[in-house]
Amino acid sequence: MTGSGHKHPMAQMIAEINQIFAERGFVFAEGPEAETEQYNFDRLNIKKDHPARDMQDTFWLRSEDVSEPTVLRTQTSPVQVRFMESHTPPMRMICPGKVFRNEATDATHEAQFHQLEGLYIDRGVHMGHLKGTIEYFFSKFFSGEVEVRFRPSFFPFVEPGLEVDMMLKGGDSKLANRWIEVMGAGMIHPNVLQGAGIDPTQFSGFAFGVGIDRLAVMKYGIDDIRHMYSGDARFVNQF
Amino acid sequence: MVQKFSYNWLCDYLAEPKPSVEAISEALTKHAFEVEGIEGEGDNAVIELKILPDRGSDCLCHRGIARELSTILNTEMQNDPLEAMVSLAPTSSIAVTIEDVDACPRFTASIVRGVKVGPSPEWLQKRLQAIGVRSINNIVDATNYVMFDMGQPLHAYDAGKFPQKDGVWNFVVRKATAGEQVSLLAEGGKTEDRIVTLRGGELLIVDGASNTAVGLAGVKGGRFAGVDDATTDIIIEAAHFEPGLTRRTARGLGIVIDASKRFENEPSRDLPPLAQQNIVDVIIKIAGGEPGGLLDVYENKKTPPPVEVHPRNVQALLGIEISTSAMVSILKRGGITVDEQGDVLICTGPIARTDLNIEADFIEEVGRVYGYHHVVSVVPEAVPLTEWNTRFMYCEEVRNALVALGFTEIITTTFRNQDEIGLQSSMASDKCFLRSELTSSLQDALTRNAPFTDLLGTRDTRLFEIGTVFTRENGVVAEHYSLALGVRLKTTGYSGKEDALLTEVIAQLETALGMKLPFVSREGVAELNLTDVIAALPPKHQYETVAQSADVTYSSFSIYPSITRDIALWVPEGTDVATVTNTIREAAGPLCVRLTHLDTFTKEGRTSLAFRLVFQSKQKTLAANEVDTPMGVVYDAASKAGFEVR
Repeated sequence: MTGSGHKHPMAQMIAEINQIFAERGFVFAEGPEAETEQYNFDRLNIKKDHPARDMQDTFWLRSEDVSEPTVLRTQTSPVQVRFMESHTPPMRMICPGKVFRNEATDATHEAQFHQLEGLYIDRGVHMGHLKGTIEYFFSKFFSGEVEVRFRPSFFPFVEPGLEVDMMLKGGDSKLANRWIEVMGAGMIHPNVLQGAGIDPTQFSGFAFGVGIDRLAVMKYGIDDIRHMYSGDARFVNQF
Repeated sequence: MVQKFSYNWLCDYLAEPKPSVEAISEALTKHAFEVEGIEGEGDNAVIELKILPDRGSDCLCHRGIARELSTILNTEMQNDPLEAMVSLAPTSSIAVTIEDVDACPRFTASIVRGVKVGPSPEWLQKRLQAIGVRSINNIVDATNYVMFDMGQPLHAYDAGKFPQKDGVWNFVVRKATAGEQVSLLAEGGKTEDRIVTLRGGELLIVDGASNTAVGLAGVKGGRFAGVDDATTDIIIEAAHFEPGLTRRTARGLGIVIDASKRFENEPSRDLPPLAQQNIVDVIIKIAGGEPGGLLDVYENKKTPPPVEVHPRNVQALLGIEISTSAMVSILKRGGITVDEQGDVLICTGPIARTDLNIEADFIEEVGRVYGYHHVVSVVPEAVPLTEWNTRFMYCEEVRNALVALGFTEIITTTFRNQDEIGLQSSMASDKCFLRSELTSSLQDALTRNAPFTDLLGTRDTRLFEIGTVFTRENGVVAEHYSLALGVRLKTTGYSGKEDALLTEVIAQLETALGMKLPFVSREGVAELNLTDVIAALPPKHQYETVAQSADVTYSSFSIYPSITRDIALWVPEGTDVATVTNTIREAAGPLCVRLTHLDTFTKEGRTSLAFRLVFQSKQKTLAANEVDTPMGVVYDAASKAGFEVR
């Protein structure tokens, strides 16, 4: 009666994501979950008292526990900044990891969830490379032909900023053959490159970010992302 | 920010033939903003748009969206209020003292004499109603109308109630002192005005004659010199306040209203006199009266900067082949001034666009207006990996080892209601601290999952978690990966026999990793600092191949308890287990969610097969007698098939 156990679908997806990107030379990087305000906001061109900070409700650590203002990272982007600072172009990286938002929870929102962000910086990197990379990733991850389209958006650390919709072509899945809003992306803002010691007149790059929980909803048909973190074997043992 | 827009209001500014609601919606979605929803039809349609944070400066108003549409659809913008002439005569009846021109770069005030306060005309009431704004009276409605038209907030005072000194109305714009109070108009749904005690540093509008704070600049006004039915002469204020200061004050007091939202987003400093001209025209039209002059103090000028845009950079960043002349045409359509100097385009945004400040901003304008569908996919060529994530690889190794030993991996909450490291504020009382260990949540999970063994077809409950925990080291937060694993043998709780099994599992993990693991065990759960362990292990330079997950489709599970029944049958020798299983499954019906073959033994030429049936409903907790019925069917079916119930 005792068979093999079960890996959590989040761990499985992260392993698959790493494999897909590693084939193209993207390094799996990581950073702290308790992140300084500097890295979570300032170095990402998200200025204090700017409305862009409203996009993310933030958990702040108590001042007595930290040496400088610190938050639970609201995005994995600070890992990108730390990577840019410690490497020189050309560079390719992904940084899947846990992130936190101080907001009410429901079937599609959790106070903790996982994000996959990535970047590619080199001479002559353009939006076409971004589109190609995202299509490459999704077609492998969803094992099918995927088309991607861009719409204008805004994220302080990219310019231009993009909303990415994807379409799984063919197949009879509920998600097939229609556009689904799936991630934010863009060309890395010159201020962010400069801040990390990379000359924006010589190098350009793209960055993207996607909720892995959202990918799980699409990949496995999960109806409530809270199951991911409920510690319930009735959920995990299905995988 | 989501904002409603009236279709026929937008049409005031759009060239003939007017685009349909659908055409507007499509153009904006592809080239500018997401459409959140459309209410009503035709002329009465209201389009709800999600305005991006960088465009809160110019697009939280009808004129801004119409300008955007004219650019995208390549049509002429009509009746642009930003191109109007300001013909209001200067007045010396109003004066303003601005103490800090960084906090208040521009201040304007105008006078209209002889108005008749009353209800607004129907067209105005309808337009405001369409976008969710309540009609109050023609003067207040006019201020709202101009704000939603041009993006400049305004405030009207009753000039008769506003004290004068030597025939002059005196405004002072200054920072508040700590402890100073200001009375603000009742907020939506409340009847009492709100008296706010200030921290100091907030920007106040003050009546200079009486030194009374009349409102919080950019955030909210008070009842001071309020317009009522008896008002005949009015003073209208339109100014520019520093966005960050406005935002800090508004957020600090929990006030987010249409005016403060606009000030926070840095509208153009060119707007105030244009908005004054617009509102005076509107008021004279709907409330009568005549203009009494304009005061305009603009001591801290800021206009969109000229920016060098290199066509080769546009192409290089967008990855789109587009000619310089096409770029120039697109930029000009958006009201951008383009000065072609050799290979360089010197671009200056139109006055309303405070967001166009660097080359990439203009590249975005070209890209989105031209259309991102022109971007062609290029998959970057494969390059060899230069770094490997050793932490990840060892975690995978631990996972694989534990999964092979029958463990299920869980991910639980990072939050606690009590622990070492605390959070300043949280939406929920159970999220005030960060976990310093995984053991307690693993114990909880074991207790919760132990009753599911029959349902899941497992002999016991084995769980593990790998996750970050937070501790205080040298007075500040530190974090590391922790690994906790636990076993539960009985549904009734820790039995004392779990630790032996755990010791065995740990020994196997030690073999797999090739080192002694300093686990700390308590009541069937063992935990260790995985970061420390991995630091002592050699780095890795090759990823294992990951098996793609099987094509799993999750199915929702019942939250109700299950009931277990076992059955043993004598079957003729040589009977296939599958045949018996099928007979039972068919008979047991849909409430039987798991059927497990427990064992087989043969005695005196007869074979006995034992099965476990688990029943569960998705709608309710089953009573024992509700399982008797399907079990009866199972017994009957077994007999009919020639099996003997033991």
